[in-house]
Amino acid sequence: MNFVAALGRVFLNFLAATGRLAIFTGISVSHIVRPPFYPHLLLRQVIEIGYYSLPVVGLTAVFTGMVLALQSYTGFARFNAESAVATVVVLSVTRELAPVLAGLMVAGRIGAAMAAEIGTMRVTEQIDALSTLSTNPYKYLVAPRLLAGMIMLPCCVFVADIIGVFGGYLISVHKLGFNPAVYLKNTWQFLETVDVVSGLVKAGVFGFLIALMGCYHGYHSRGGAQGVGAATTNAVVSASILILGFNYVITEAFFAT
Amino acid sequence: MTETRAKIAIRGLQKSFGPKHVLRSLDLDVRDGESLVVIGGSGTGKSVLIKCIVGILTPDGGSIKIDGEEVIGVTGNARDRVNQKLGMLFQGAALFDSLPLWENVAFGLMSAHGMGKTEAREIAIELLADVGLGAEAADMYPAELSVGAQKRVGLARAIATKPEILFFDEPTTGIDPIMGDVIDRLIIDCVRQLGATALTITHEMESARRIGDRIAMIYDGRIVWVGGVDEIDDSGNEVVDQFIHGRIEGPMTSAAGAA
Repeated sequence: MNFVAALGRVFLNFLAATGRLAIFTGISVSHIVRPPFYPHLLLRQVIEIGYYSLPVVGLTAVFTGMVLALQSYTGFARFNAESAVATVVVLSVTRELAPVLAGLMVAGRIGAAMAAEIGTMRVTEQIDALSTLSTNPYKYLVAPRLLAGMIMLPCCVFVADIIGVFGGYLISVHKLGFNPAVYLKNTWQFLETVDVVSGLVKAGVFGFLIALMGCYHGYHSRGGAQGVGAATTNAVVSASILILGFNYVITEAFFAT
Repeated sequence: MTETRAKIAIRGLQKSFGPKHVLRSLDLDVRDGESLVVIGGSGTGKSVLIKCIVGILTPDGGSIKIDGEEVIGVTGNARDRVNQKLGMLFQGAALFDSLPLWENVAFGLMSAHGMGKTEAREIAIELLADVGLGAEAADMYPAELSVGAQKRVGLARAIATKPEILFFDEPTTGIDPIMGDVIDRLIIDCVRQLGATALTITHEMESARRIGDRIAMIYDGRIVWVGGVDEIDDSGNEVVDQFIHGRIEGPMTSAAGAA
């Protein structure tokens, strides 16, 4: 009986948390489209999320492209299908690896930073101070971050697509002895618009989720430094899980026959 | 309870956090233009009272009227209009650590009143001077200041929009007695110059006697005594007597022991 009660409590807590998150999301999204707007705050977040994330996203992409070329070559060589390496690299990078890996890296970098910053503002009453100064915290803190996340992660992923494919090209041409012109021709030949677009759509959704989790956990942090630490951890873990879950959902929506 | 017009009228205010009842049907009037200090022990609901008035917390029941207008349940633009009458100094100053001091002070002027940066900066520097900080401090960040200096900047921010009502949450807690005296005198000067109504919460009696025209004692979620500063030593209330003399024996500790 106690086990059933405990299970029920867990379920009710889950429902309550889902409801809180849904309300937070609804309020935040409504403030994205309602004035007043804070363009300077949006610009700051655009630079923080986009520009400062480029090095880590670029490094992740180049090494991923290089490894992918090596791995697929050693596999395909067993049945004389080495010519498929370029196609596998470009499709894997644009459809899956660039958006997912960039999302996970940015979740670690930006999601944690957002949760820590907003969480610190919460426990030091800075968010309360915003309210007393007739400034809506959702509009001032959350909306610019959500919007910047949705805009800038696709930009980062687009760059990561190019760098990732370039990483595969480097290894294929300079280490595995592929002809550069043939490799590039194979890369373009089987690439379709939907491959790139699906990756960018994923990136937009992931950017929203990363910012949402960072803001939500930071906004509801309690209890000083320990609470802020917990909010940071929860933001990264929940964003990472949601990225992987939504990755499947979006893939299903785009490519399921 | 009301003799002259109440700027803030609170009736039957209730607020609980889970099973803990912090405010239990609290009644209080703050008269127009007066400085009222609410005293009480730690955890008696002083901060909760102020946060309910300014809209940071939503009460479970009761009524709060500012200038005769009910403010409980008021949200959005209507709440912003009410908040434009208010200024607040937080216990830890609550300065925005990503902004320089002048932007902290001018925040309300720029965001709520739409003032331009150049004009707002000039006013902020004047306000910083009023609280004893030079123009060279304008571009410093809150983390570069002592706690006392942060409270002074917080005070400058609270008065920047010339509010009708000022709230001070433990203004001298955590700072040395000399700086406490400085902050108290700044508060008195600012309130007088603005002609504002002030509600201060504190547990420091020296500060309460300096700042207040009247003092109210909060205990067990209710106001148990209200009177003039010169009446508090002869209040005839056991709770007030125990608190102002800092006695270990008395109704407050008996109740705490029984609980």
